[in-house]
Amino acid sequence: MDALEGLARLARRAREEATPVFGVSEAVRLRIQSERTETVTLIPLGLFGGLSALAASVIMILALQFWSYMTSPVMELVAPLPEIRLW
Amino acid sequence: MTNAGCQCWPVNGTIEAPRAILYNTFVENADWADVAASVRGDDEAYGRLVQRYEKPITGLLWRFTRDPTQCEELVQQVFVEAFFSLKTYRGDAPLLHWLRKIATRTGYRFWREKSREPQETSLPEFDVLEEIEAAEEDRIDPTEAAIVLQSLLSRLPPDDRLVLTLMYFEECGTQEIAERMGWTRAKVKTQALRARRKMKEIAEREHLLERLGWTL
Repeated sequence: MDALEGLARLARRAREEATPVFGVSEAVRLRIQSERTETVTLIPLGLFGGLSALAASVIMILALQFWSYMTSPVMELVAPLPEIRLW
Repeated sequence: MTNAGCQCWPVNGTIEAPRAILYNTFVENADWADVAASVRGDDEAYGRLVQRYEKPITGLLWRFTRDPTQCEELVQQVFVEAFFSLKTYRGDAPLLHWLRKIATRTGYRFWREKSREPQETSLPEFDVLEEIEAAEEDRIDPTEAAIVLQSLLSRLPPDDRLVLTLMYFEECGTQEIAERMGWTRAKVKTQALRARRKMKEIAEREHLLERLGWTL
């Protein structure tokens, strides 16, 4: 007999094994309830996070607009130079 | 499974009417009613589903771990995950098939997590073979046969182990394994071929046939 045939034979017998039954329905119900509660707790946190992200984006847009109006203070020193009469 | 029952079943809420026809074709009436009620938040209905399918799901997960505590934990995980995914159940196959798919993936995840921990199946587990005196297949205790087979399978990497576990214990074909795991059939075939080769080497190294008295 081949080793694989032996394993198949062993498997045939193993399939007849009586497996345990735990009675998990009550534990499952409790876990579902607890996970539902966790989800409910996370909703306000998610809402707060979303609002914060929105506020941050508005500030970012405004900041970029203001940035475009800013000029370097050094430019004031350099820019008038061509118009100065030297003699 | 009758089509007549479809009209009296609740089809409002999150389960749409067209899907009800599909459910009715493949799913047992009692299952359908309980699935619909569970989706609407009826915990008792879901409890009935758990009680109905706990045994086959435990039987499947028993092949992933023989530790009763771990096995019970896995069974609970399967039913909790199934509850939160119930809205995605399309009803194109019996509920038990869908639950088996979740259970197989849960067991596979469990093995993958465990495989990160260094471990080697200890040889003393094979002591059980010493107690098997008879050469006759039917005289071997099924529990002992399962212990031996699972100990041998535990020496394989998770992918190989999964394919052979489903083949040996669940009598699954390559198509069914591919469907359960979302793999291609070609991958399952290659995996099975490789796993069988490794398993043969392990069995020969352990002199399995000699110890079982099956050398004739």
